[in-house]
Formats: sequence, structure tokens, C-alpha cells
Amino acid sequence: MPVAASAIYFLNLRGDVLINRLYRDDVGGNMVDAFRMHIMQTKELGTCPVRQIGGCSFFYMRISNVYIVIVVSSNANVACAFKFVVEAVALFKSYFGGAFDEDAIRNNFVLIYELLDEIMDFGYPQNLSPEILKLYITQEGVRSPFSSKPSDKPVPNATLQVTGAVGWRREGLVYKKNEVFLDIVESVNLLMSSKGSVLRCDVTGKILMKCFLSGMPDLKLGLNDKIGLEKESQLKSRPTKSGKTIELDDVTFHQCVNLTRFNSEKTVSFVPPDGEFELMKYRITEGVNLPFRVLPTIKELGRTRMEVNVKVKSVFGAKMFALGVVIKIPVPKQTAKTSFQVTSGRAKYNASIDCLVWKIRKFPGQTEPTLSAEVELISTMTEKKSWTRPPIQMEFQVPMFTASGLRVRFLKVWEKSGYNTVEWVRYITKAGSYEIRC
Amino acid sequence: MAPPAQSQRSPSPSQPSGKSEVSDLKLQLRQLAGSRAPGVDDSKRELFKKVISHMTIGIDVSSLFGEMVMCSATSDIVLKKMCYLYVGNYAKVNPDLALLTINFLQRDCRDEDPMIRGLALRSLCSLRVANLVEYLVGPLGSGLKDNNSYVRTVAVIGVLKLYHISASTCIDADFPSILKHLMLNDSDTQVVANCLSALQEIWSAEASTSEEALREREALLSKPIIYYLLNRIKEFSEWAQCLVLELVAKYLPSDTNEIFDIMNLLEDRLQHANGAVVLATIKVFMQLTLSMTDVHQQVYERIKAPLLTLVSSGSPEQSYAVLSHLHILVMRAPYIFSSDYKHFYCQYNEPSYVKRLKLEMLTAVANESNTYEIVTELCEYAANVDIPIARESIRAVGKIALQQYDVNAIVDRLLQFLEMEKDYVTAEALVLVKDLLRKYPQWSQDCIAVVGNISSKNVQEPKAKAALIWMLGEYSQDMQDAPYILESLVENWDEEHSGEVRLHLLTAVMKCFFKRPPETQNALGAALAAGIADFHQDVHDRALFYYRILQYNVSVAERVVNPPKQAVSVFADTQSSEIKDRIFDEFNTLSVVYQKPSYMFTDKEHRGPFEFSDELGNLSIGVEAADNVVSAQRVEANDKDLLLTTSEKEETRSSSHNGSAYTAPYDGPATSVYASQTQLIETAISNPASAGQAQQASLAIDDLLGLGLPAAPSPPPPSPQLKLNSKAVLEPSTFQQKWRQLPVALSQEHSISPQGIAAFTAPQALLRHMQSHSIHCIASGGQSPNFKFFFFAQKAEESLNYLVECIINTSSGKAQIKIKADDQSTSQAFSTLFQSALSKFGSQ
Repeated sequence: MPVAASAIYFLNLRGDVLINRLYRDDVGGNMVDAFRMHIMQTKELGTCPVRQIGGCSFFYMRISNVYIVIVVSSNANVACAFKFVVEAVALFKSYFGGAFDEDAIRNNFVLIYELLDEIMDFGYPQNLSPEILKLYITQEGVRSPFSSKPSDKPVPNATLQVTGAVGWRREGLVYKKNEVFLDIVESVNLLMSSKGSVLRCDVTGKILMKCFLSGMPDLKLGLNDKIGLEKESQLKSRPTKSGKTIELDDVTFHQCVNLTRFNSEKTVSFVPPDGEFELMKYRITEGVNLPFRVLPTIKELGRTRMEVNVKVKSVFGAKMFALGVVIKIPVPKQTAKTSFQVTSGRAKYNASIDCLVWKIRKFPGQTEPTLSAEVELISTMTEKKSWTRPPIQMEFQVPMFTASGLRVRFLKVWEKSGYNTVEWVRYITKAGSYEIRC
Repeated sequence: MAPPAQSQRSPSPSQPSGKSEVSDLKLQLRQLAGSRAPGVDDSKRELFKKVISHMTIGIDVSSLFGEMVMCSATSDIVLKKMCYLYVGNYAKVNPDLALLTINFLQRDCRDEDPMIRGLALRSLCSLRVANLVEYLVGPLGSGLKDNNSYVRTVAVIGVLKLYHISASTCIDADFPSILKHLMLNDSDTQVVANCLSALQEIWSAEASTSEEALREREALLSKPIIYYLLNRIKEFSEWAQCLVLELVAKYLPSDTNEIFDIMNLLEDRLQHANGAVVLATIKVFMQLTLSMTDVHQQVYERIKAPLLTLVSSGSPEQSYAVLSHLHILVMRAPYIFSSDYKHFYCQYNEPSYVKRLKLEMLTAVANESNTYEIVTELCEYAANVDIPIARESIRAVGKIALQQYDVNAIVDRLLQFLEMEKDYVTAEALVLVKDLLRKYPQWSQDCIAVVGNISSKNVQEPKAKAALIWMLGEYSQDMQDAPYILESLVENWDEEHSGEVRLHLLTAVMKCFFKRPPETQNALGAALAAGIADFHQDVHDRALFYYRILQYNVSVAERVVNPPKQAVSVFADTQSSEIKDRIFDEFNTLSVVYQKPSYMFTDKEHRGPFEFSDELGNLSIGVEAADNVVSAQRVEANDKDLLLTTSEKEETRSSSHNGSAYTAPYDGPATSVYASQTQLIETAISNPASAGQAQQASLAIDDLLGLGLPAAPSPPPPSPQLKLNSKAVLEPSTFQQKWRQLPVALSQEHSISPQGIAAFTAPQALLRHMQSHSIHCIASGGQSPNFKFFFFAQKAEESLNYLVECIINTSSGKAQIKIKADDQSTSQAFSTLFQSALSKFGSQ
């Protein structure tokens, strides 16, 4: 069963076509009208990203102010299609340097057409790797490096790279200073009941790398994860060192990681791509250190007044601090007047999201600022219990802290020329969906 | 490519406005075409950009074809690409001009730069002009032998494009066997992958006509090929891996060792960052172990973690795609996921399509140990701002209650819902309490106490009202006020718009009457009178039936209407296991997302007779498809007791479900007796036509019974001169063809009676009605208030067809009718017939 896409469209929010690329003739040219008529202009928009109209299925995704729509006429592979869109957008971003929106598309539409031709042929995904595509699709439009005259310059092994097997790294890279940056970024998801018990809590983390290394280096990464450590002590036949070990529920790796070696030796070894990439992703559900505890008390006093008291406790080390802490405390729609007292930061009432927004720019560890507010409501006669008490939501970033406790034990770099490398490791924990019911 | 309509073009001034701009461009291009001045490429590039941007927003720039081709002689690769794009877009509509491009494309196919060769070859194959295929064969043949892999990847897909333009040319040139050779020998994995895609498509299409192709297609699944691909799997790109894994999933290993070998080899794919690869691997594992129960179980355990990771990473759309797959696995083996229920808790800001799947999964994984937590969590959602989700979660609580033995806590929760005093919560909860009582009659005391406190005035939704009325009838001896509530409902008979509610009201009053005759007598008389006068066919019939059976013998009536009921032990599933298995076989495709097997949405005969086309643009689902689904469900419903709520899921998901599936079996035992009893009664009643004055209600039971029958259904309409063939058949394609050919004979507007509008709850009702007048529907579509129908009819004993397009607007009560006829002279007669049939809709 072919999984081929028949067409891909980029539309702005009004439904104007920014880019259209028909790959196959098995769908009509009026597909975009069908999408506008049956999805964009109805309540259907946003109810489901996969829709069938007539004999065709539409997969659509909104990215900033652009809709990307894939049309297929057969029983296609949905996961593959969405992944393709995400990867394509990442590719475009790496070309335009950052933003992907309507303006960027309008300014670069020729380039996008060029790329769309390369990344998909007759509906089948081809090569989406920016490293390789950038070798021969350049905005300058000069003839490709491995072009005509043999006298020009030594032709690198480019043909292999265009489509080849080791798709992620070019040979012959040279850096004056060999550096590796490693960022461990975790986001904590929390759902806490109004009684203060944790209903659901997990951490999804990723290790982002930036490599500026010469030649074809071989890297090996050691973490304090349980399986890795156990395997290591087994191999070296010495007892596991005491100290915290982390149990990773699940790990996925960038394609450069040698998975066979990971499965047999439990080490993460790889030849990195040049520049920035996501080395691995992991998920942890056990033993999560929550950086913040939120203790809300919300009292409804009669029908026109409410008393809100929220205490937020930071439970990480006293020497650390969190940045950009925002606590959104929901209040009813008919809020008329609010007055606050906060022991730290600033609070205000934001009517457009029906929330009291409390911001604390720098939040040291082991402290517990409080907010107390009085809320006056406009009395309404309709529906006495209309307020459903949405959860309190929280945003934050805690540098040098990992909610999972994951640490990098070592990062080794081998290259045949034997140069020295400088390694930089950073940790940061962010709020994913951090919700506290009240 | 049909450009989007002009009117939808952005009106901003920076964008060109049409003809004058195009002719301007033409002039400028012509000037540049011959120029060799330095910097000419830059100005060309600007011009080309303008042309392409015009093309994108839908301005027809095909008139520039000649100039574009003249300008294409350039060494600038970006210019070339823009030119190729342009040519590819317009060659199909300008086949003659396309010939002009062949020359330069063929020349570029021999360029020394492999990029140019590849690009030219791709563009050459994208021209899609049938009479140019002869020019493709040569370049494709040399492209397949090119020493540069980029050109080969392009050439392989080029072969597939050629096949779609002209299959015979492709086969005659023996390209498939060249591709097969390349697939097995090429050093470049992308070439191999493209060969695989192309061969799969070509051989699948050829398999129906050629034995050899069938053999070749089977050969793709042979051990050597599968092993060859598997051994190289790590070299393939992530997309190609999906392709290979999809093929491997169809492979049938000869023994268990082979199965384990393959699984060991692929296990690390579960760690791949691309979710599509992970899902494809899961499919392989699932399919390989289908016959090995223990291992299959272990596979579930193994894939759980990667799936849960995928769900929580990536965009909502991606996680929806993964969740749909997780959903099907959870439904197949809920017990394996029962400890992971917390992963299915909804986040406040998640899109509702994600929440809905999560709710279903929460329902499925509920077991004795986690029910309490799950139900507590679901109750949180009942207060959700998103009302459909709130409803969905209340239903989920109900479903869990129906699955579990320990329902104490759940019943309390449900009853709390009733006290929340939110209309939709009360409505959903009422329906659930009713279902619950059918399964656990022992809870009636607790439930009835709470239900009795609900004022029927606060219940507006038909389903909830029906449920409340059912309970009033069923438990009338326990509810003090039951007869009086029913009586007041009967008094407001005319204001009750839902036929379903009126049906239930009739039955409930009957039941109540047998339990508390003196108090209900009034209400029963009024209800029967109103029912018999009702314009709703089913209500009318049921009232008449009750009336006759009461007249015949009251104790027989009681046995029929109010038999001792057995608690329902298992509620039927809406989807047959065969269909579920089929969906499972199509794991990692759209079938899983739509929750129906692919033949239901890709085969034309299932999808309905029409392709999406301009003329019939608004029709999405043909009636035929709807009927198929419904009849499939009816088969299911017949042998078991299909419950209202279990079928509701279907209703929200597929528009094809029609209401009758659950109204009919609703009264379970009563309906089954209905058929046999009717006959008996018909014979027992000696003179059914004796009365016509039945419209007044009477107080005494004797009077009630003595009233006789109301007027028989209104006398048949004066037989029209035109007789229609009641068993007419017409092929959809013939219909389409005729519709295009015939002129419009008559075009009229006709208003529909309020009863007609009221009966217009589902388009199916109208279709059945029209069918009874020998007018058949071939396609229908649209959404309230606008519906569109295509009908046809055939003159009896002559094969003269009448075709009708009928657009009904339920809010204005107007129907626009267009009639086309083979025989123009009778079209007026037919029109009269059609209108009289339409005007009778709902009034019988």
C-alpha cells in the first residue's frame, strides 16, 4: 500500500494559498477549496487534525500563522505524514534562520519550492537532512560544488552524501577550537489534586548537543542512569557506587547513536552531526523531584466575593534560583475588582484569560512567598454554579537543576588526530504542563 | 493543476491584478530571452519569481509558456529550477507547447553536472503529457544506469511516474525488471527504497491483469528479499525504514526462530527518534507474534514505554496519531495498560481530540484496583468548560459502572451529577442511570429517590427526557408522582418535538396504567388519542397498536407491554470483532485513526457513487455507504440488546449512523412480541374501519376501548397518470453522465410543511419516504440546515429516467428542485408527482 502524499499546501489563516505543490494527479486541483470549505470555514477546524472529505484525507497542522495541509488519496501512514511536516518545517527554519511564518514563506517561496522538490518525489519522502541538502541547495544558486570541471577543486565524496548512508556528517571539517556543548533540558509535567496529592507526574527530557569538532570524532556519553551503571559495574566487576541512580522509563536516540551498542553495552556512543542536534530524549516517572509546591486556598464568600490565598514553596537547593516564574490563578469570568498582597514579585488581574497572574522574576530556593487576594464578582442571576475552577498553572525555569536528578558523568571524545576538546554541560528544568487543581 | 478561484485571491495592492501584468511580464521576458548582457540572470530571476508567485496564488500565467521556454537556456541552476516548476505546472494544459521543452530537457539530461541531470529528468517525467512518453524512455533508461546515485533515485521515481502516465510504455520498456535488479544490487539505499516503493505500486496495479506481476508482488515478500532489506535497515533513511518495515510486517516467517531473529534485529528500532519508525516496528512485532499468545503479550509490555514516550513528545497532531494507535492496543488488551492509567489523565489545555481518545482509554483500562481513582478523575472532567468533553466523561463513568461489579461508589457519583444542576450534566446522567438500572435493577431504590426529585421541566434533551420517561413508566409504583408527571407530559404533547420522546411517553403511560390504573386512566386516554392523531408514523402506529391490543384483551396487553424484565448482562459492542481485526491488520495507517477498515473509506462503492468534483461538490458521503454501515450494525443489534449509549459513540463519530438503530430495540422484549401479536390482533378485530370519530378522549376505560378506530390513513392520493417503477435501478455513473448531458426540464421552488421539517431529523427519513413513492435516492449530503439530494425515478414499463436535484433548507422550509428527464413531455407530470410525494413527508 503506497503511503504517498498527493499534494501539500501551505495556507495562511485566511485560507490564501502561499505554496502549493501537487505531487500526484490522483487528487483534483480543487482540494484546497475543499479544505477551506469543509474545514477552515466550519467549526471542524481544530476538532481533529485528520479529516476525510470525499475520497481524500486531509492532515493539517497549524504552525504559527500558517496551515500546512497534506492531502492523500489512499490509506496513508498518519504518523509518518505528521513527522514529515514537522521535519520539513525544521528544515525550512534552518534555512531561513529561525522564524517560520507567513512572511518567511512569502520571502522564500522559491527556495521552498526547491526544497519541496528535493524532500519529496511523487509523494514519497526523500532526503530531509539539512546538513546534506545545504550542500547543494543554496540560496545563492551557484552551481553545485561537485559540478563540472574536475580541475575546479577536489570533488569530495559528495555523491554518497547526497543520498548516502552516513547522512549526518560531512568529512573534512576543521575547527580551530574543538568544543562540545551539552544541554540537558527537562520539562516537568504535574497534575496535582485539590487535596495536594500527586495524580500524575513525569519528566520528559532531552539532551541537546552543539558540536564544533574537527574530523570524524567518536563520542561516548555516560549518565547516572541505573541500567548503564549496572552494566558498567558488571563489566568492571566492582559494586555499583552509592549515590543516586536514575531509572529511565524510555529512551529514544538521534539516528547517529549506535543502537546495537546501546543495547549490548548500554553506552551511548556516536559520531555526531556537525552543529546543533537533539541527541536523545527520555522519560522518567519515578522519583521526580518537584521544584515547586503550590498550596492554594480559594474561598467563595457568598456570591460576590472570593478570597484567594496561594503559597508557593521552592524545594530546590537554597543556592539555586528559578527564573521567570509565572503563576496563573484562575478566577471567574464575572470578576469585577481585585486587590492583592504579595510577599515577592508582582501580581495583576488579566481579564482576557480570567486569571490572576503572579510573576516572580528571580525565585531563590527554599523560600515560600505568598499571594493573598480579594476578588469581587459582579452578581449574576444565571447559573449559580457556573464557575468550574480550572487548575492553577505555573511556568518556570530552574537552571542547574534536573527534576529527574540525571547527571552527565562523562563525555569522551576520540578522534584519530588526538586533539583536545572543551566540553560544556548545562542543566535546566522547565515547567511542562504544571497544573494544580484548586 | 486547476488554479484556485480568482475571487479568493488576496486583494492586497502589492499583488498583481491580472491580464495587464501578465502581458507586461511577457514583454519583459521576451526582451531578456535573447540577451547575453552581464547581470541578465539576475533580472531573469526576478521575473521568474514574479511568474511563480502569480502561479501560486492562482493567476493563469500559462500564456507565458513560450517565453519561459526561450529564457530557460541558462546555466543558473535556480533559474532552471523555477523554469522546470513552471513547465511542470502548465505542460498538462498545453501539451503542444510542452513539446518545445522536450528538447532542452533532454539536453539537460545529458549535462555533466549530476544535479542538472537529475533535475531535468525529474521535470521531464513530471510533464504528464501522454503523447510525449516516447521521449521519456531513453533518458529514463540512461538515468537508471547513471553512475551518480542522485540521478538514479530520480530515475527510479521517474519510472513510476511514467507508469502512471502510460502503463504499457513502462512495461514494454521492461523497466520493472531493471528496477528489481537495482533494488537488489544498488549501493545507495535511497535508490533501493525508491525501487521498492515503485515496484510495490506497479506490481499491485498490474497484479489484477498479469499473473507475472502477481508473482513478482508475492516475491517481494520472499525470504531472500526481506532478509536483504532487513540486513541493511540501518543504512536506510528514517522514511525508507518505515517503508521496509511496512513490507516486513506482511512477511510470513517459516518458524519461530525466524520470528525471534527478526525481532532481535529490529528491537533497537523502538528507540528511534522518529515516531513513524517506532510505530512501523510495533506493527512488525504485532503481526509476527499474532499466533504466539505468550510472546504477543510480552510484545505489548515491551512497546508500552516507547509508545507512552511518543505520546508525550511532539506536537498535539503527532501525539494524536500515536494515541490513536495506543487506543487500538488498549482496546485489544486493556489489562496490560491498567497500571498506566495515569498516563491517560487529560491536561487542561489539551485539544479535545486528544482528550476524547484519552477518555475512552481510561474507560477501557478501569479494573477493580483503579476504578476509584479513574472515576474520581473523570468526575473532575464533568465540570470541564469544554461541554462535549464533560458529557463524554460522564458517559465514561457510566460505561465503567456497566463494566464493574462493584458499582456502589459509582452510583453515588452519578447521583451527585444529577444534583449538579447543569442541564447537560443532568441529561447525560439520566441516560446513564437508566442504563444502569437495566443492568442492576437492585439499585432502583437509591436511584429512583433522586430521579423523582428532578423536575421534568429542567430536562430538555430528547434522549434524557426519554430516559426519564422510561424510568417513570418502569418504576411508577415506586415513584409517588409518576402518573401525574406523565399526565402533565401528555398534556404538553403538542409541544414535544421529538418523536422518540413521544414514543417513550406512550409506552410509559401504558406501563403506569397497568400498575396504577385509576390514577393513570386519564393520561392513557389522552395519550392514545394524541398518539393516534400524531403525524409521526411510528408514534401513530404504536398508539394504534396499543389501542387495539387494549381493546382485544387487557391482560394480553399487559404481557406485551410490561413483561417481567431480565437484567441485561452484557451490552453489545457496536463494532464486530471482524472489523476490529481488520483495523488491527491495517495498523499504522489511516484506518486506525478513522477506526474503520480502509475499504470503508477508500473503495468507491463504499464511499458513495461520487468523486469529489465541482458539480457535485457538496456531496461527501453517498447513501449507499451509510446504508451499508447501518445494516451491518443492525445485524449486530438483532441478536443482542443494543443500548442507546453504546451506540452514541458511533453517532458522534460517523455521520452515517442513523437514529433508528437504537429506537427500535429500545423496548427490548416488547418489540419482539410486537410482530407476532400484530397479526393476531388484526384478525381479532372484526371491523377496523368502523370508526372515524376517535379524536376525543374519554374517561372510562370501557369508553376508551369502545371508541373504535380512527380514520384509516388518509385515502390514497388520486392515482396519477404517471406510473413509476418501484424497483428502478440506475448506475451512479449513468446518473452522472445523464446529469451532465440532459438539460434542465423544470426548476422550481417548493415549500415544505412544518411537519415535514420536523420529521426531517435525519436525511434517511426522507429517503425512505421518497422510496415508498418509487423515487430513489442516489446520493445525498450536506449539513443542517442545508441538505442536498439527488433522486431518480423510472417510468414503469419504460426505461425513461427522471433525475432530480433537490436542495432543502430546513430553516427556511424551502426545497429547490431541478428536474431533468429523458422524456421532456412527461416531466411536468413527474414534477407534480414528486412534489406531492415531498409534501406528504412527515404528515402521515
